[in-house]
Amino acid sequence: MKSGWWKGLVVPVIVILLAEVAMRVEGSTSLSLAAPSDIAVALLRSIADTSLLAATRDTLIAAGAGLALGGLMGLMLGILFGIASTVDRLMEVSVELIRPIPSVAVLPIAMLVFGFGFRMEIAIVAFSCIWPMMILVRSAMAGIEPRLLEVARALRLSTWQRLYTIVLPAALPRIIVAFRLAAAMALVVAVTVEIAVNPLGLGYGILVAQQGLQPATMLAYLVWTGLLGWAVNALLSVAQHRLLGRAATVGVTR
Amino acid sequence: MRWGSRLLFLAGSVAVAIFLVWLWQLVADNRLVNPVFLPGPDRAWKALMTGFSQGDLGTKLLATVERMFWGWLIASLAGAALGAAIGSSPVLRAYLAPMLEFLRPLPASATIPVAIAIFGLSDGMVLAVIAFGAMWPVLLATIHGFATVEPRLYEVTQALGFSRAKVIWKVALPSASPDILAGMRLGLTVALILSIVCEMIAGRNGLGNWILLSARSFRAPDLYAGVILLGALGYATSAAISMFEQRLLVWRSRAR
Amino acid sequence: MDAMTTSNAVISFERISLAYGSRAIISDLSLTIRRGEIVCIIGPSGCGKTTALRMAGGLVRPNGGTVRFMGQPLTVPRRDVAVVFQDYGKALLPWRTAASNVSLALEAAGTPRAERADRCYALLAKVGLAGHEHKYPTEMSGGMQQRIQIARCLAQEPSVLLMDEPFGALDAMTRQGLQDEMLALVAETGTTVLFVTHDLEEAVYLGDRVIGLLPRPGRIGIELNVDLPRPRNQLETREMPEFLRLRRALFDFIERAEQ
Repeated sequence: MKSGWWKGLVVPVIVILLAEVAMRVEGSTSLSLAAPSDIAVALLRSIADTSLLAATRDTLIAAGAGLALGGLMGLMLGILFGIASTVDRLMEVSVELIRPIPSVAVLPIAMLVFGFGFRMEIAIVAFSCIWPMMILVRSAMAGIEPRLLEVARALRLSTWQRLYTIVLPAALPRIIVAFRLAAAMALVVAVTVEIAVNPLGLGYGILVAQQGLQPATMLAYLVWTGLLGWAVNALLSVAQHRLLGRAATVGVTR
Repeated sequence: MRWGSRLLFLAGSVAVAIFLVWLWQLVADNRLVNPVFLPGPDRAWKALMTGFSQGDLGTKLLATVERMFWGWLIASLAGAALGAAIGSSPVLRAYLAPMLEFLRPLPASATIPVAIAIFGLSDGMVLAVIAFGAMWPVLLATIHGFATVEPRLYEVTQALGFSRAKVIWKVALPSASPDILAGMRLGLTVALILSIVCEMIAGRNGLGNWILLSARSFRAPDLYAGVILLGALGYATSAAISMFEQRLLVWRSRAR
Repeated sequence: MDAMTTSNAVISFERISLAYGSRAIISDLSLTIRRGEIVCIIGPSGCGKTTALRMAGGLVRPNGGTVRFMGQPLTVPRRDVAVVFQDYGKALLPWRTAASNVSLALEAAGTPRAERADRCYALLAKVGLAGHEHKYPTEMSGGMQQRIQIARCLAQEPSVLLMDEPFGALDAMTRQGLQDEMLALVAETGTTVLFVTHDLEEAVYLGDRVIGLLPRPGRIGIELNVDLPRPRNQLETREMPEFLRLRRALFDFIERAEQ
């Protein structure tokens, strides 16, 4: 283990201990905050009665489906704009006008069309994932070593072959990074939609607990959401490192 | 020659955008999509104009902008100050960085119910949420900026005998400024989003509330008018920060 | 050391040693640099010549022995000991113009604001950068950037210039130009110079004395006095028999040292 790894834990542990003491002494009947031990109990209880797990599943399904949809569209648009610069430049104004629209601004439109539920959330998550994916993939296309493209021309590869054997493998590392960022965003947007209007998932769970004046449960859901976000990020980071290792050799051995 | 082709493409790009709007109008006129879901651009535009002239759309816009701006300002100042302190001290970084990295992926909107629990449904709550949420990108970017100052520059200032405060002011801060500005840009995006969400949940007067109510009462033209306005707001804030960045970071764009 | 040499000594290393853990970088190194001298240090990689220079600048402290500046122990950097780094890109503030970069040294010395501009312009003119005062480093070539750094070091009005392979990253033409410029500047101001390089010809061309270090651990392997007439000339000096003899001696030294 890296030396000094324990340093990162010192402050959180102290904060938790102080919170525990403060809550025990002061706010035993508080309706807005809870002691860490109560939070832990509420967390275990929510896991035990499967409510937390169901909410997690719902959020992940919505975020995942939205990511898949938006990510794919963003990927295709990014590749298109990346390799066909004419199309890219002609679409520039249109994209720059739509892109700044915040994903939550699109929320009522999705609500209007789909009502409440999964489809609405997936649509919003997809919308929010398209743009970062498109921009990063487009720049990944632009960042391909020009020498490799010259090789493609020298070998007289067809457009399809060029795309498949050189462009995509060379851009793969940055595409994977783009995907990771889009995934983080998908989760955040999903939870945001649930907090704002949608009655499902973790966001809704936090809201319900707050409205039901159950601070321990509310904070338990919050902590769990934080853990989930961190875990998804960490998982994707590991996946990225393993895939990038392979991707680097793919470009070479081909 | 290059200018000419650039101008040509710009004109073409605008033409494409206009074409898409015309397509939208076509779809709406022929009712290819339910007009309740997709009103034509003409109706959306009319709703926009009416909203400003007869309704209080202007007030709502201002309310959203104010919230977003003050929250972002507080967040930027706090984030930059804290980030500078943490980023320039390897000791603080070692103790705090893991915790901050853990908190980074937490959705800022998830703090809204907690804020409601603590502050109640008030403007103070909204400001707290926006400031807290927008602070993270600035804080993390500032820490990174201060932590990655070229060590050679520190050696130069050591040889010249600058005090610690002077080193931070003359070297660390300018060196970190691209990162800080990038963080502030992200923070502005977060501030706008949180402003809208808070208005939706807490029913505060503003654009977020406007579009939600429009959707609930099936007033699609009003809804689209609001969305267009929010898009324009997003665009304007992004452009403003870009201009500010350009002025401040002129040395970056002049590289050979 | 007799009284005469000690009073004339600007920088002296007294039995310096430096080790990182079990790895000995420098061992029992003693040398003296006298006022107005140009001393060049050469050696194969791993001989610690850059480390020795950094010790003279107070940037690294030895485990054993003492570094002295004008007879007093030197433990921290001093304003009157200026360091010219090889990576000029990293040693200049990219957000400041050339003039502003030079001004940094004046700001450190507490020069009144009204005086700073004139002095910066004068120094930049002295290193041949007149007319470029308001450009940013990134807008200028490598040679020009190194000149900015030299100008800034001169603004410190140093008694000693420590130069760490300052021309190593530049092309041959620029390098030769800067060599001559540096010699002219030093002749004018009488500054003492410690010059680290891996270019043997440069060391002989520039120096009054050339010291060669042996690697692992760093210690003196050879010391030569350069008895060539000043001012030096790129064509004539390099063709002199004495130059060639010294060059040969150093070349043989390096060959032996690298085995």
